[in-house]
Amino acid sequence: MAQNFNPFVEQMPENVKQAESSKKVSNDNHAVTKRLHKELMTLMMSEDKSISAFPEGDNLFKWVGTIMGPKDTVYDNLKFKLSLQFPNSYPYTAPVVKFITPCFHPNVDTSGNICLDILKEKWSALYDVRTILLSIQALLGEPNISSPLNTTAADKWKKKDEYKKLLLESYKEV
Amino acid sequence: MNNPSFDYKAAWATITQAFPILQSPPSLPESDFETVPFEAVNTIKLLNLAEQIQGLVITRMEERLRKDIVPQFWSHFKKTDHDSATFREFHDAVKFLYYNYMKLDLIMNKLIVLREASNVAKPVYNHACLHEALKLIVKAVLLSQLPVDQQWLILSFYEKALKRQDCEEESYGNEQCCGCLQEQYVCQCVEMFQETNKKLGKMALLEPLVGQSLTDLIYNYIQAHIQKICKDSFDTSHLESLEKWLQSVIISWLKKIYYYDCANRSERFINEFDQKLISYLYNAYTKIRIDQLFNIIIEYPDSLPALEDLRLCLPKTDLKPHLTKTLQKAMETRLLHPGVSTSDVLTAYVATIRSLRILDPCGLLLETITQPIHRYLRSREDTIRCVVSSLTEEGPNDLAEELVRGEAVQVDENTPVDDGVEDWETWTPDPVDGVTSKTSGLPRTSDIISMLVNVYGSKELFVNEYRTLLADRLLSQYSCDTEKEIRYLELLKLRFGDSQLHYCEVMLKDIADSKRINQHIKQDLNYSEDDIPMSAMIVSAQFWPPFKDEKLELHKRLAKQMEKYTSAFETLKGSRTLCWKTHLGIVDLEIELADRSLSLSVSPVHATILMHFQDHKSWSLDALSKVMHVPSTILRRKLSFWQSHGVITEREPDVFHLQEEQENKENNLQDDIVVEDYESESAMASAQDQREEELQTFWSYILGMLMNLDTLPLERIHQMLKMFAFQGPTIECNIQELKVFLDRKVREHQLIYSNGLYRLPK
Repeated sequence: MAQNFNPFVEQMPENVKQAESSKKVSNDNHAVTKRLHKELMTLMMSEDKSISAFPEGDNLFKWVGTIMGPKDTVYDNLKFKLSLQFPNSYPYTAPVVKFITPCFHPNVDTSGNICLDILKEKWSALYDVRTILLSIQALLGEPNISSPLNTTAADKWKKKDEYKKLLLESYKEV
Repeated sequence: MNNPSFDYKAAWATITQAFPILQSPPSLPESDFETVPFEAVNTIKLLNLAEQIQGLVITRMEERLRKDIVPQFWSHFKKTDHDSATFREFHDAVKFLYYNYMKLDLIMNKLIVLREASNVAKPVYNHACLHEALKLIVKAVLLSQLPVDQQWLILSFYEKALKRQDCEEESYGNEQCCGCLQEQYVCQCVEMFQETNKKLGKMALLEPLVGQSLTDLIYNYIQAHIQKICKDSFDTSHLESLEKWLQSVIISWLKKIYYYDCANRSERFINEFDQKLISYLYNAYTKIRIDQLFNIIIEYPDSLPALEDLRLCLPKTDLKPHLTKTLQKAMETRLLHPGVSTSDVLTAYVATIRSLRILDPCGLLLETITQPIHRYLRSREDTIRCVVSSLTEEGPNDLAEELVRGEAVQVDENTPVDDGVEDWETWTPDPVDGVTSKTSGLPRTSDIISMLVNVYGSKELFVNEYRTLLADRLLSQYSCDTEKEIRYLELLKLRFGDSQLHYCEVMLKDIADSKRINQHIKQDLNYSEDDIPMSAMIVSAQFWPPFKDEKLELHKRLAKQMEKYTSAFETLKGSRTLCWKTHLGIVDLEIELADRSLSLSVSPVHATILMHFQDHKSWSLDALSKVMHVPSTILRRKLSFWQSHGVITEREPDVFHLQEEQENKENNLQDDIVVEDYESESAMASAQDQREEELQTFWSYILGMLMNLDTLPLERIHQMLKMFAFQGPTIECNIQELKVFLDRKVREHQLIYSNGLYRLPK
């Protein structure tokens, strides 16, 4: 890079740009907060007791979710905790969702990462916390064996008794 | 002593003759006006004993005073029960003392001659003049033997004299002397009084002997006088008359006494004392008024003169902190307890604002004093309701007046208050003696309504309450006379702004519209009213406060008529329909029974009951309850209304009959049945119901919280609710209320509480 340029000339517009973008984010932030507030309210008012979520602390962008294992599956009667981290660009970007409770499942790795299409490439702004949690709950009962993160789980899926044993061994309520 | 060259004996005799006090036993001749004989002076001079003799004489005089005169003087001061004699007693005592003093003074005269002759100039007790020395000696001896309870006699003596003076001021025609209760022409009080003072003055004993007592007496007297004058009368100003009284009675009386004070400082002394007394007068008066301040405030505006007095007094005294403390305490003990109704608290509050405005126009005092009231009012549930209803009440009412008077003050926290740059020259800083409060940053306002609104900090609450009240009033009247309401609304709009009262405006418009729509529908040819003429009150659900929800299935005939009305409305209004609140409204009934007819206005429930009895003469409670969809307990209560009118009887348990003929004329009102006062019921959902609903919302949030975060302490729950669940100004829940709510849930086994943490049961 040439050394004899006036650093101010180059830097000025950059600064302005930065300021603008931060302003945009703060504006967006307001909209995101509003949306999250609304989602929280619908979630709270909903009658479905098998899923639930709530902001973890003062930060509205970090939630803790709870799903009950779906009935008539190996996960029945088990309670799973998840963490939901919302980006500033939510709902145009998917939140980062992870299992906190260890979950033995073909599409969940040992650190709790979930492989679910709607959280990745198939995300749409029309999804919300409720639908995410419902999808994950459904995923528990109907794993996608073809692209597993946990191959052991994928292998054992067909053998229910063995699978359940491994599941209960790894399961630990937080 | 026995010196042969000189006849000492003869010399001593000469000397003792000149000074009989040196004789043994010493004698004090009654009248010893002779000067010292020349030979005695010579003898002393010869012997060069002048100083010694002088010392000896003075010692003897002191001894005499100590052993004889003073004890005798003080013996007069023994406590007696004969109150009437005290005046004379003191007079006699002083007379006795003075008599002896004069005798001693004569000896002093002799000594002076001796001193002059023998050139002795050494001062005695630091006094060159022996007369002064004598005064000092008398004073010293007197005070050295001061008995404990000497004051009472002096006090009673002067008190009588003072009373006498006071009486003279008040009534000239009084023939009796207040002091000795004798006829005035026989009474010698004045003479005795003057004589005593004169003698005391001459002995320079006025100040040392009676000064303190006199001061005490005067202070007490002033105090008593003020108390007598100010007792329970706030409607006259006393300040001027008091000052006059002080001058004409106390000061002039004091002057009379100190006129004789030989110490030549009376003028200055009196002036100083004068100042002290005036300041004391102000202090005493202010204190009394401050103690009465609560009563004064309650009696506002009749107590205006007292307030004016107090306003004048406050700058002259240092009693503002005292005032603040006393008044706050009085408020706490007399006003801010559960025994006082809210409307009374409000009335007192308004009076306080008005009174304190007079006392302290800058408002600092007001702010400090009313803070406890604010806090207290905030804790009362019905405050807003009381304020709003009294705002719009008919008849003489402080708040309503205030509203009507209403300078168009916008009650808005956000508008910057014009600090009055125009009259910056007259600006004065806040007084420093007021207790500065934390909120002094806020602009102080003296507008009563804004102050009341500020009690809650938000006008939304007020407006909401007004809305409920208005709804209640409109629905209970069932009349379309909204003129008065519109007037109040306009007045309120001046204060609260248009946007806040938009809902209320719509409500009033609904009433007017209903009237019009009713007329339209009645003109509709397709609509017919066979036997039940009806008109509807059509309200917009969006704008009205929530109604109390009660279920009621109306009688078929009534329902049919309503259907007809609905269809007529639908054709008139196009895509709109009506949703009936069957339990609200009013029904005019003409009841014709076999032997009598009644004309009543009742609620729809009552009407429905009677219409059912029109079909069947008797109903069982259960059957009727099923038909009407009303719980049997409530239905029984409603039935009691008709029972009390003697229309329905309960012949056997739970079975009711229509009573066509009255059995017994006298006994037509069954006393034992509690008649429900249905008119007092509000059509609106009660504040409690609404609150319950809000709490239910919180509960779902709390469930969500605990489900995901497992355990939480109370504070955290409250904080989270505040962050995520509270919307709008009305939905609020303080931490105490939350605790009560959570504790209830714990009792209901919906929560578990341990180690200060709440969690959900498994």
